[in-house]
Amino acid sequence: MDAQFLIEVETLAMVLDQLDYYGVLKLDQGAGAADVKAAYYRESRAYHPDRYAAVESAEVREMIGRIYRRINEAYTVLRDDQKRIKYLADVSGPDRLKKLRFTEVEESAVQAEQKRKVEEQFGLTPNGRKFYSAALVEINAQRWEAAERALKGALMYEAGNARFKEALAQVQAELEKTRPKGDYRIK
Amino acid sequence: MSSEIALGIDLGTSYSCVAIASQGPPQVIPNEWGERTHASVVSFLEDGHVLVGNDAKKNIITNAENTIYSAKRLIGRFYFSDEVKKAQAVMPYGIIEGANNSVRLKVRDKIMAVPEVSALVLKEMRVIAETHLGHPVTKAVVTCPAYFNDNQRQATKDAGRIAGLDVLRIINEPTAAALAYGFGKDISQKICVYDLGGGTFDVSILEIGKDVFEVLSTAGDTYLGGDDFDDRIMAWLADDFTKKHGLDLRQNKFCLQMLKEAGERAKIEVGRDGVAEILVPSICQSPEGQVLDLKQRLVADQFNKMVMDLVQRTFKVCDEALQSARLTAADVDAVILVGGPTRLPIVRSSVRHYFQKEPLSDVDPDEVVALGAAIQGAALLNTSAAEYGQASYLLDVTPLTLRVGTVGGFSERIIDKNTPIPIEKSKTFTTSRDGQDRVKIRVYQGESSKVDGCELLGEFEFTGFRVGYRGEVQIQVTFEIDSNGIVNVSATDLESGKKTSTTISLSSGLSEQDLRKAVDDNAGMELASRQRAR
Repeated sequence: MDAQFLIEVETLAMVLDQLDYYGVLKLDQGAGAADVKAAYYRESRAYHPDRYAAVESAEVREMIGRIYRRINEAYTVLRDDQKRIKYLADVSGPDRLKKLRFTEVEESAVQAEQKRKVEEQFGLTPNGRKFYSAALVEINAQRWEAAERALKGALMYEAGNARFKEALAQVQAELEKTRPKGDYRIK
Repeated sequence: MSSEIALGIDLGTSYSCVAIASQGPPQVIPNEWGERTHASVVSFLEDGHVLVGNDAKKNIITNAENTIYSAKRLIGRFYFSDEVKKAQAVMPYGIIEGANNSVRLKVRDKIMAVPEVSALVLKEMRVIAETHLGHPVTKAVVTCPAYFNDNQRQATKDAGRIAGLDVLRIINEPTAAALAYGFGKDISQKICVYDLGGGTFDVSILEIGKDVFEVLSTAGDTYLGGDDFDDRIMAWLADDFTKKHGLDLRQNKFCLQMLKEAGERAKIEVGRDGVAEILVPSICQSPEGQVLDLKQRLVADQFNKMVMDLVQRTFKVCDEALQSARLTAADVDAVILVGGPTRLPIVRSSVRHYFQKEPLSDVDPDEVVALGAAIQGAALLNTSAAEYGQASYLLDVTPLTLRVGTVGGFSERIIDKNTPIPIEKSKTFTTSRDGQDRVKIRVYQGESSKVDGCELLGEFEFTGFRVGYRGEVQIQVTFEIDSNGIVNVSATDLESGKKTSTTISLSSGLSEQDLRKAVDDNAGMELASRQRAR
């Protein structure tokens, strides 16, 4: 182990608590899942404690251990798409210094968000769900008019549900296609 | 340079194996008789000597009460656990309760903890290596099933220490197998390690990127292994015998051992030849004094039907592992089979069917784990491997979710399963009473939100922080899982930043004092196998 690396380790260990996860993995904030993995492999090659298991100084091993635990922590958060979005919003916000580490509070916020999304897929109210599932049956059978009625029903209970609106737009587009072209209707 | 060698030891439920990787490619060390795997059986002889290995296995029948096998099934367990109850019913040796709900083994008026027995197996491995190398060895990497919890890992580590070994690392068996497969090959693949051992089943999904071995997920069943296949054959033989002669062989411990041996042999034969002729002459006597033989014929189809549900159970675990890794069976580039039972055609063909891929055939399922451990041992002793481009980096995960107990028998997640290790996570606790001077937490591992469905690791008590009104004092507890997968808990007073003192109670492990005593006791036990005449 050369002197330069030792200085690097000491500096990193010292500023560890001021770095965000992007800083720990030496990534920029636009990084996607593949970049995160590549960075994790790169940093693991540099700081994996196994590499320094035979180093005499317990102090150096402790520092490397601390750095590597943070690298793992950063990886667990940034590799997860949902957590990464939440984390990026947190560290870009005014509370940056308090949000450098992803804690149980953030974790439960991400989970609540996910749960809301899942529920939205199927509807948040019993009646909304009932109408939406009826609509899905009609869509499968390509009975577009019945599907439109059911979706409008669902939207009566959940006016803001993005998924219902999207489905309705699709159904209406299908309906448009099936309408005879040309204007021969009785005026 | 003699101290610069670390052994790789695969401490298995039924067989163990030792390897080194100091010079050139890793290799398995055979004993003086050329045997490359050694039964994990410890037999205590009348003259005070201890016999370990394949010779000891012969004593399972003749010296049943003083011969311990499958100790790994009991290591790191509490006395009240199901596995211990199950073992008590079938094992001929004494399994009794020790202090703090621990398990103790009783042989010839000697009472031992389970790690002390495993230590004797490790000691035998060490002696085999020393005899081969011609000099003493003190360092080793020992493997354990990936799905082992903290108690079991800690106990495995204790066993190493009792055997006089400096255990550099506890590594997971599937990870070791992957390392032995991918080391120095410069490949980038996603692989699956299907490890069906004598007593445990593990599956790990890894991504190998040249020198980096990243475990994506791991799943397992610590109650499923080759022994269960034997049990099926035994049950069939015994039921059949009862029908013919009206005698239940399972009632007699001596007959039971013969039956077990016949079951194991039949399994191996039927796997190899497609048919097994079972013959145990004079297994017992009828009440009329007539000597009865056990005679049966087992064909592959019949055997496959007996064990099909066990094989299917392994794929449920595979499903779980793939799901955690967010992959499908088709994404896996290669399948490595580990463990003796994977030689069975029924297992091989089922694996082929599940993954739609031929499992690798150039990997020896009995030796690959020890080889991987040896590679890791060499890497841990070497500071300059990276410069020569020989390094390998194991990025392993914790197999179980770490939890703390909360009110009403529920638990709260701290570190999720399949999180890369080493890792740490902190949680803040506040006092609930005025003037409270101690905080107790119970730490668990498992996937149930109820503590009853999880394994208790221990109760930690923190004292020595500032005393104040309720809710005023905040204690930050840090949970750390180290590279061995072993959990460490420490706490600091958030306000003063001072570390509080921690005491552990209710732990299944050995105390420091017990450990020291065990180390001394063990040093005094002589291995008889070294005196076996040629």
